[in-house]
Amino acid sequence: MPTLRLEGLTKHYVRASQVVRALDAVTLEIQQGEFAAVVGRSGSGKTTMLDCAGLLMRPTAGRVLLDGVDTGRLGERDRAALRSRRIGFIFQEFNLLPTLSAIENVLLPLRYSGADRRVGRRRAEMLLEEMGLAERMGHRPAELSGGQQQRVAIARSLIGEPTLVFGDEPMGEVDTETAEMLLSLMRRINRESRVTFLIVTHDLDLAARADRIIHLRDGRLAADEAVGRAVGPCAALAVGGR
Amino acid sequence: MEILRNLWRRKVRTSLTVIGIVMGIFALTTMGAMAEHFDALLAGGIAYYGNTVQVADANSSSGFGGGYMDLSTLSQIQRVPGVAAVSPGVFDTAKPGQASVVSMGVPDFIGNLDPNWNRYSRLKLSLAGGRWVGDGSRLEVDLGSSFAAEFHMKVGDTIALPVRPSDAQPGFVNHRFTVVGILNPTLTAPDSGAYVSLHDAQMIDGDSLPTALLGHVDPYQLITGAVVYAEPGINLDALAARINAQVPTVKATKPSTLVSAFRSGGAVFTFMTTAAALLALIIGGLSVVNTMLMSVSERVREIGLKKAIGARTRHILTEFLAEAALIGLIGGVVGYLLGLVLTTLLNGSNPSGGLFLVTPGLTALAIGFAVALGAIAGLLPAIRAARMDPVRALRAQ
Repeated sequence: MPTLRLEGLTKHYVRASQVVRALDAVTLEIQQGEFAAVVGRSGSGKTTMLDCAGLLMRPTAGRVLLDGVDTGRLGERDRAALRSRRIGFIFQEFNLLPTLSAIENVLLPLRYSGADRRVGRRRAEMLLEEMGLAERMGHRPAELSGGQQQRVAIARSLIGEPTLVFGDEPMGEVDTETAEMLLSLMRRINRESRVTFLIVTHDLDLAARADRIIHLRDGRLAADEAVGRAVGPCAALAVGGR
Repeated sequence: MEILRNLWRRKVRTSLTVIGIVMGIFALTTMGAMAEHFDALLAGGIAYYGNTVQVADANSSSGFGGGYMDLSTLSQIQRVPGVAAVSPGVFDTAKPGQASVVSMGVPDFIGNLDPNWNRYSRLKLSLAGGRWVGDGSRLEVDLGSSFAAEFHMKVGDTIALPVRPSDAQPGFVNHRFTVVGILNPTLTAPDSGAYVSLHDAQMIDGDSLPTALLGHVDPYQLITGAVVYAEPGINLDALAARINAQVPTVKATKPSTLVSAFRSGGAVFTFMTTAAALLALIIGGLSVVNTMLMSVSERVREIGLKKAIGARTRHILTEFLAEAALIGLIGGVVGYLLGLVLTTLLNGSNPSGGLFLVTPGLTALAIGFAVALGAIAGLLPAIRAARMDPVRALRAQ
């Protein structure tokens, strides 16, 4: 069973009395442990796809299945619970809370999932050490560089031990060198703990280092290619769905 | 902790909002303390006058004396069915000739200590120190707590009564009394009293008789009023009517008339407290609403993020409500403490004990009101925050 399955995923907006087809019948599967990049021009539907898959937004049509569970049938409470237990998010602008220290930011999701705080604290320390931020745990975001802030955000996305991490242009705000470093970090976590990553990026060089590149164009799945190894039947399925 | 840091992030704005609440709660505390003071005063009045029948001469204008009665009238009253005891009353001002200003309390008085008081009255008197003045006491006095404080008296000191006015006439007479007892505070009329024996009260009263009467009447046969205590189960209003019917030379006032007069006085002060509370509500409440709305609109992305990582509507609502309630709590505690300091200082500078009474109930009301005010004012902004769509909130600029 795929970790994530998008089935005919469609999202329409009405903007100035015109219907915008942000996402148009996208069908694809992501397997446990995959590291997939989503690429496409701006307006191609990358972020919309991520928002729907990450249960932040409900699609106009189609289904999002997490480990076979149709999330469209769940109420907001259950969707919020799934977000806090199964999903991690990394954003372009880091979105750290300025009043909280690095480690408090990492611990934030546990406040809403009701997890044991002491166990959580040990895990947060471990994660920050893994991110090379052992010396910066008590610092506020304003005292950290962009790369350091994003590493705190990555640690935060992992604190709830998610099976899926969504990244919306996570390397968008940092220089090339830092972007490389962040990507290596995420790849390492992906390899070592089998966390599935789905990363939106416009940088094709960075995308090339994923296992798989999903191309979106005008809200549709334009291509789905494996990098270095086969992806499985989903590419064919996606093409068939068009 | 996070809440405090969020508030501290906007120091000026938070401070201004807190000041708004401080002002409101300060007003509530001082006004409330004044109302509490009068409520205690009135409650004492109700307790005392509610179970006695006040009797005065038939020609006097009010139930509180103003004329003279003959001491022998007491035995006629005693014979009225239902009367358990009758006490003579001789009351005079302790500060004759004092300009009569609007007084927010009971003016100091000299009166005879009623030996029946503690046996029958619901309002009990007790001694903080010393002993009671006896029937045979001469030139001895028990002072009410405020009276003693005003003149810095303690047991064993002497005091000249009545107090000599600054513009005393050449013929002014007073007497040196030894303080033999100080009463515990009752928060009502007896605190302003100087209690002497009936003989001494009549002596002082005799000194102030109009010149034309001097030598024609025996001051030791005169009383300014009488207090009637009823036997158990007797309706006091009916008893007053019976006294009026059977003893035509006196006028007995129905207790219900006095009690309702006290109650309507209490209503005024309740209104004052309510008005102060409303002021607090308007000033403080609106500024909390404003501050919290600004806080919510500045932290849209933060709200979006929290929702994305699993916060439910309930969590966001609670966080913002807690922030608003904390503003209320800080403002409430500061406003209350300022009010407490001011009323304590004013009470201390007032020789007769002061006009303010801060009770535990008032403390709970002031601080509880501030917290509730903050939370209620924060409700609308908190709901707005909690209902935000996470995607839109996250992408907000």
